[in-house]
Amino acid sequence: MEAALLGVAVAAYGGAGSAAVGGTILGRRVDAAVAGLLAGGLAAHTVSLALRWDRVGHGPFISMFEVLSSNVWSLTLVFLLAFLRVRAVRPAAAVALPFVFVLLAWTLATHPDDGHFPATYRTLWLYAHVAFGKVFLGALLVATALAALVLAGPRGLATLGRAGVEGEVAAESLVLRFVALAFVFESLMLVTGAIWAQDAWGRYWAWDPLETWSFLTWIALAGALHARLAWRLGPRVTSAMVIAVFALAVLTFFGVPFVSTSLHKGAV
Amino acid sequence: MSAIPAPAPRPGLLRTLASTRLTLAVLAVIAVAVVANAQVEGGTPAALAGAFGLGAANLAAALVVQARLRADLALFVFHLALLALLGLAAAGRLMALDGTVELAQGEIFDGQLLTREAGPLHRDRLARLRFVNDGFTIDYAPGVKRGRTANDVRVFGDDGGVTRHVIGDIDPLVLDGYRFYTTSNKGFATLFRWVPRGGRAPERGAVHLPSYPLNAHRQAQSWRIPGTAREAWVMLEMAREPIESGRPSRFQLPESHRLVLVLGDERRELRPGDSAATPEGVLVYEGLTAWMGYRVYYDPTLPWLLASALIAVGALAAFYVRRFRVPAGAGA
Repeated sequence: MEAALLGVAVAAYGGAGSAAVGGTILGRRVDAAVAGLLAGGLAAHTVSLALRWDRVGHGPFISMFEVLSSNVWSLTLVFLLAFLRVRAVRPAAAVALPFVFVLLAWTLATHPDDGHFPATYRTLWLYAHVAFGKVFLGALLVATALAALVLAGPRGLATLGRAGVEGEVAAESLVLRFVALAFVFESLMLVTGAIWAQDAWGRYWAWDPLETWSFLTWIALAGALHARLAWRLGPRVTSAMVIAVFALAVLTFFGVPFVSTSLHKGAV
Repeated sequence: MSAIPAPAPRPGLLRTLASTRLTLAVLAVIAVAVVANAQVEGGTPAALAGAFGLGAANLAAALVVQARLRADLALFVFHLALLALLGLAAAGRLMALDGTVELAQGEIFDGQLLTREAGPLHRDRLARLRFVNDGFTIDYAPGVKRGRTANDVRVFGDDGGVTRHVIGDIDPLVLDGYRFYTTSNKGFATLFRWVPRGGRAPERGAVHLPSYPLNAHRQAQSWRIPGTAREAWVMLEMAREPIESGRPSRFQLPESHRLVLVLGDERRELRPGDSAATPEGVLVYEGLTAWMGYRVYYDPTLPWLLASALIAVGALAAFYVRRFRVPAGAGA
């Protein structure tokens, strides 16, 4: 049942992504279909994750399969909320959903082992830390998808319903809103992570691989926002920086756990 | 005749230090220091301290010089809280203590640490603290995966009162700001009584065997018998390992065991109550118990760090909420 529902979610997410990309190429708005497929996929994915949670006795935070699957879920959820709430975000589905689908393919290629839930993970701070991290990455995905359209030039701007210098500036403003949201939630992720680490391992910060790379992501985001102000950078440069920060965040979220035996030093 | 234009005033040190362009360079320096710290074995604390010190100087100067930064309350508070975070983290390092101690079951903590790293401004109050390790249980899942640790401790207060606590995993014992954490470092300890010849008082002590189950196949230890030059070596042999990979287990004393004792060229097997005589005295094996390794951490800035971090995030959120309250598309 758990696997079957994940299969339904994969099909729905794939359909949503295909509709978004196809609609963009053909110049047709398929917003209702994209939203419907994403919502249906999310519902199936939610039940699949809940069944797994119930079966293995812990949330989807431990094995690489769980990390990837839960992030596909949260990225889709954040993107769908932005899609429904902010009309201008909708064209960005053609960029964001293929990325989510790549993560989904990686999920399916990963062994769905149950993992072991360490006793130091039995704290509400873990849930807060993970939740803030997921909002951060989701908001940054939306910003990145919008930034990619800004970088794509007049055609990309046209999909956002913008044109010219003013259109670029307006699109950049939208990008910055989601970057700001990401910055706040990444800061919250770091703070709650430090509280958890102090309780669990007797140190609030120890520069383990995840701490190092998440701090570098925070510094990169702060640097991008500062650089924009200090050098009065234009929308295209700002967009390029946002995409670079997103790449760093993806490396932190999925690259470091991929090469590290435990997510945090001393966790197991 | 035209007046010679006065040369443009050179920016002072403070203004240079407050430059937002310098901020970018500082952020890059911090990033390089963080990467170097991750790459070098043992870290590069001096480089980190230097980079963050430079960041603090830039931030402090910007708060003094940049009127734009002070004009917006939320932005000002955010940067002030960041500066406080850096200052508190530095102060914390100067006043902190990070150490370890091992206590056998029934042993009272006497303020002595096994390892110890303390900042130069740390005022040691460990000698005032008293608690006893009353034993612990640790569950293991198949595959020797450590589960919940429950360590019973009794704390002796200054007023003579005794309080009981169960600590472990995410619940440290906090005494006068010192935080005692159970760790994965724990094992078995052999209890001996040494009765020296010549009427001197007997001594009791515990010999901690290597951490278990990490060193399940190396349960041996050597030590010097007190007041003598004699080296002793013991090895624990268990009839059955308490923690087995193939089933759920619990850290507990083995159902039956024997102890191999080597004194010089002589090898003996001991069971609880057995003794071994030497020219200097008699060594009595009293039995097996368990020891727990604790991490001891003290940093008086922790609550202030948390408050500063929360204020920083709150101010950042307030700044962005106000900034983006205008409709989308109205400009950055």
